[in-house]
Amino acid sequence: MAGAEAARAGALPARGARVFCGLSGGVDSALACALLVERGYDVTAVYMRNWSRDLPGFRCPWADELADAERVAVRLGVGLEVWDCEEEYRSTVVDYLVDAYARGLTPNPDVMCNQTIKFGTFVERALERGADFVATGHYGRVERAEDGRVRLLRALDEHKDQTYFLWRVAEEALSRALLPIGEVGDKALVRRMCAERGLGVEGKPDSDGICFVGPVGIRPFLLDALERRAGDVVEWESGRVLGRHDGAFLFTVGQRRGLDLGGGPARYVVDTDVEKNVVYVTADRRSPALFCRELSLGDARWVSGEPPASGRYLVRTRHTGELREAWVEADGASRTATVRFDEPARRVAPGQSAVIYQGLRCLGGGVVQKGAGLVPAGR
Amino acid sequence: MTPEREVYLDYAAATPVDPEVARAMLPYLTERFWNPSAPYARAREARDDVERARGAIARLIGARPDNVVFTAGATEANNLAFAAVEGHVVVDAVEHESVLACAGTHARRTVRVGADGLVDPAAVARAIRPDTELVSVELANGELGCVQPVREIARVVAAERARRLEEGEHRPIYLHTDASQAAGALSVNVSSLGCDLMTLSAAKVYGPKQVGLLWAADDVRLRPLVFGGGQEGGVRSGTENVMGVVGFARALELACERRPQEARRLAALRERLRAGICERVPWAVVSGPRNPKRRLPGLLHVSFAGVEARRLVIALERAGVSVGTGSACAASRMRVSHVLEAVGMPRELAEGSLRLTVGRPTTEADVDYAVDAIAGAVRAEATRLGLDDARQLERVSSLGWGATGGPRARGAGEPEGGARGGR
Repeated sequence: MAGAEAARAGALPARGARVFCGLSGGVDSALACALLVERGYDVTAVYMRNWSRDLPGFRCPWADELADAERVAVRLGVGLEVWDCEEEYRSTVVDYLVDAYARGLTPNPDVMCNQTIKFGTFVERALERGADFVATGHYGRVERAEDGRVRLLRALDEHKDQTYFLWRVAEEALSRALLPIGEVGDKALVRRMCAERGLGVEGKPDSDGICFVGPVGIRPFLLDALERRAGDVVEWESGRVLGRHDGAFLFTVGQRRGLDLGGGPARYVVDTDVEKNVVYVTADRRSPALFCRELSLGDARWVSGEPPASGRYLVRTRHTGELREAWVEADGASRTATVRFDEPARRVAPGQSAVIYQGLRCLGGGVVQKGAGLVPAGR
Repeated sequence: MTPEREVYLDYAAATPVDPEVARAMLPYLTERFWNPSAPYARAREARDDVERARGAIARLIGARPDNVVFTAGATEANNLAFAAVEGHVVVDAVEHESVLACAGTHARRTVRVGADGLVDPAAVARAIRPDTELVSVELANGELGCVQPVREIARVVAAERARRLEEGEHRPIYLHTDASQAAGALSVNVSSLGCDLMTLSAAKVYGPKQVGLLWAADDVRLRPLVFGGGQEGGVRSGTENVMGVVGFARALELACERRPQEARRLAALRERLRAGICERVPWAVVSGPRNPKRRLPGLLHVSFAGVEARRLVIALERAGVSVGTGSACAASRMRVSHVLEAVGMPRELAEGSLRLTVGRPTTEADVDYAVDAIAGAVRAEATRLGLDDARQLERVSSLGWGATGGPRARGAGEPEGGARGGR
């Protein structure tokens, strides 16, 4: 097929290539789909229904999102299919999330979703259906080399770049991916371009956070999934009990809000121990316990399949967070890596991703391990 | 992009409050706000207003005021009807969700319907068991527009009652009918229908939403679902919705006054809509009873094989035309409606079905505009999908579901089913 050959040759796919484009009902994927249609591809839009459960205080808006996706598809004159991915989503993203929290980690469900659903199930099913390419509304860029290899680059709009969530996507899947939004200057332009095309979604707010818990946040979701268990909030420096909490799994390193300690100074979570069900806090914003010089990463993945040579790279530990220079040593066999910062950096909650870049290029990353970089204190 | 015209064709889902009804209701928002249960003279006025409304409605349905219980809508009235019995119930497969859900809490038998959606009274007779306490059949279905033979079914129920009397069995049996969709177009006189319980909704007759009633004959003992201050004879506690029931009464009065002319006018508009669509899209399939006497006058159910109704809804909304795809409840869950499943409509037709309903404000110009928009939207989708007229006509006729205004007999060998469009 012309499209598939183009992928190998490194050029943009030719007109007429068969593209399956994920359409979420949001602004970004709407414009992505429109741009693909304008480039002359044979586009099939797909709404992936990953989750439809309502939570107390949050009605899952999947049906409204589907209606918006349908509006876009009708406007563009492309077919829209609804693919039910609830089973895969629950088993790979939701169960992973709950299990990680239960172990005292703070996972990135979006990273899992991209790996297993959007660039997993979706790509597989699309290819089975004869797709040359798949497309999504992600802010990222795929650079295709002459030899067919691809590189993942940060989006043109650095403020919206989503490569932090794409680091686990394998090169094979990326080689089939088109990310047209990564080439668009900025979000305001994305909205303007949607409005110009009459897609009817340009006024929708940005979606942030974990989609299936909505604006109520993760807490009620976790309290529904895991057992509430009262425990102590302990001052890191003194070992003094300051108050009680509903379960250490509800807290994350660096967290300030949600500690019900009845007034007093603002306190920060330094560490959690889900075994003993203790949350350690400090009132000292500059406490060494809130900083680290080193991160040890597990479950590392590299876009090219090969770990990078030891050296200085850029490291990002939160979505659109600062890109800090650091020394990175990766070990391919054990799928681990060590990140050493020049200056002490804010500690990163275990379970979060640390993503490694070389210039614009996202090389891959790893998952911050429990206890990594924590300076032992007198407790 | 503002469309040239706004045409609403979903009066089976919701009706606007008639300006005259709104005028009648308005004082109750502000100056006539009293609680009917309060002890002073003003409150007495509010109580009188409620009772006047009850009396007016009772006259319109041929009943005594004492037997009318106001509820917060038809769904609640249906729930109240089912709560009156504990034993076995008989319903048909095209009932509204609220009736099917209530029946689900009882031992029950669901009577199949014909391909046109009509219930066969003989099938009801066969479904009734010695322990059956309630039969519930909607007077008119809101999706296909079937007007059910409630009077004939009342005779079936009466025969069973006579048999029980004869044989010394004391178990009662009642007939309930949900007449919400029918009230704008058909007589809802309880004695001529021969039912024991009847549900009505203000929201379907150009009155306010969340106002309805259950009428129950003298010998039916209603059991409350909402407990509290004992209003509505203890059957439905909660401060009376004075504004709502005043609006309901005015709305029903208007509906009854205008019913004969309005039914004729709606039937003519519906026919104009049908003819226009079928002329422009020859493979359009019209479903529901063929006999106009067995059909709501303002409702047209039309299907376009292979076309997705959900996309048509969106294309039409851009043209300013609002249409339904079936009951709103099923639409929001993205399922083929249970009604279309029950009549055995092939899936490719069911998924391409629009439920169009004209109403009091609809004009001929509205219909003509809607015909253009609907035909245009269907044609655009057909082009996108590469469907041509000749092959679509063949496809439709091969489905065995008549293309010219009514389904053929299903011949499924089901004694309780079978099309009976010609009655």
